[in-house]
Amino acid sequence: MIGLLKYMRGYLRIKVWGFSPERFMNLCSNKDILLWDITRDGDIYYMNISLKSFYKIKGIVRKTGARVAICNRYGLPFFIPTLLKRKVFLFGLFLAVAFWICSSFYIWDIEITGNYQITEDVFDSFLVQQQVRIGMKKDTLDIAELEKEIRRSFSQITWTSAKLNGTKLIIEVKENDAPILEETVEEEGGYDLVAEYDGTIVSMIVRSGVPKVSIGDSVEKGNLLVDGKVPIYNDDTTIRAYNYVRADADILLEHTTSFHATLPFDYVQKEYTGRTEDRYFIRIGENEWKMPENRPFLQYDSVIKTNQPLIFEKLSIPVYLGSYTYREYLNVEYEYTLEQAEALLNEKILTFITELEEKGVQIIEKNVKIDTSGGMWVVDGDFLVRELVGKSVATEKPDMGEQLLNE
Amino acid sequence: MSKTETVINTLQLPKDVCMGALRVTLTGNREAWIENYRGILEYSDQLILLQAKTCQICFEGNRLSIDYYTNEDMKISGCINCVKYL
Repeated sequence: MIGLLKYMRGYLRIKVWGFSPERFMNLCSNKDILLWDITRDGDIYYMNISLKSFYKIKGIVRKTGARVAICNRYGLPFFIPTLLKRKVFLFGLFLAVAFWICSSFYIWDIEITGNYQITEDVFDSFLVQQQVRIGMKKDTLDIAELEKEIRRSFSQITWTSAKLNGTKLIIEVKENDAPILEETVEEEGGYDLVAEYDGTIVSMIVRSGVPKVSIGDSVEKGNLLVDGKVPIYNDDTTIRAYNYVRADADILLEHTTSFHATLPFDYVQKEYTGRTEDRYFIRIGENEWKMPENRPFLQYDSVIKTNQPLIFEKLSIPVYLGSYTYREYLNVEYEYTLEQAEALLNEKILTFITELEEKGVQIIEKNVKIDTSGGMWVVDGDFLVRELVGKSVATEKPDMGEQLLNE
Repeated sequence: MSKTETVINTLQLPKDVCMGALRVTLTGNREAWIENYRGILEYSDQLILLQAKTCQICFEGNRLSIDYYTNEDMKISGCINCVKYL
């Protein structure tokens, strides 16, 4: 900081020799003249003195009889006059600054984050439609209107924020995570519930429709569980017409489901030998320059690290630096021990059970056994589970009902 | 102990201000910071001799240089081997 201040004010490197340079220095300090970086080379003293103080030492020099000469000049007061002489340079500097200021009025980069369902291409074409493009003037962009338009055009976007960061337009969107409920058009006619598995019914709560089975019944896959046509009876208990409804019920079915998984006896594992080689590269746009290389190892994989220097990132210039790290490895064959195999298979079973539980399936009984056959570990399991069933299918309309209704 | 010193001691006044005593702060053997001196008597890169009010102080060492030098304080840097009062 002090160095900068000294540079701004300007200072000189002087050499002092002659009768008594020490006296010269003492007198300087008495007159509050700062001297710094004093060194001695033979009989000559070199020291720095500020430009302002230099004009004051005339008297001291005369008094002491020392001799003073300027070695070097430093600082802005000396630099600016030389700079001003260089007209073309100044003109260039002015042009560069002007260009820099002018170009900061435009948008040079558009970044979209948070989009998963809507692809970049779709978004880009939307932005082009909205007259938002790279190279447009900043003040012609109405951010609030753009945000509104995004929400209007894409129904799945629930939140959006656009902001200008320097010359970069950053658009953040948040999409609806939950699936969009499409309004299902209630179709004419009723719907039945049919069984999806073979099994026994454990419990049954019917909200609409006519139950066709009861608790304790065994059903097969495709059997009708709840009928979607509710009969309307005449006084003589004959059916006058059918009222078609969407059958709705919670039916708990007990059925068995099986699980089968296999695991080969041996497996191949990558073992890194620890030998690695680095190759550095520079990438500008699509072009990449790499250090020349031969095939580094017989078997290897590579890790690519890329980073963009901050200045290029801020200016949106696609210049990247990075390295390839090649790691040598050997393919080693191993055989699972019983414990390892059991652990792995148990994990598979656990995953299966977790999946069932996530679906809301209760497990009543399980019977799992691990065995070897055909050169691999085999696990077979039977699970007795209770699960909510009922698949909606359109109700078949009997001709009779139609006729009755028409009458 | 002189009378002035007794008075200063009793009143607990700072000695460097009242008696014009030299004040030297050494940082390792690389830097010395000196206040309350009168002037330089001799300066070479092996020896710096300073005049204080009541005594002289001599710094001996190698590659001694004066970082800055004002009326109040000065800073010496280099490899200081020895500090002597004369």
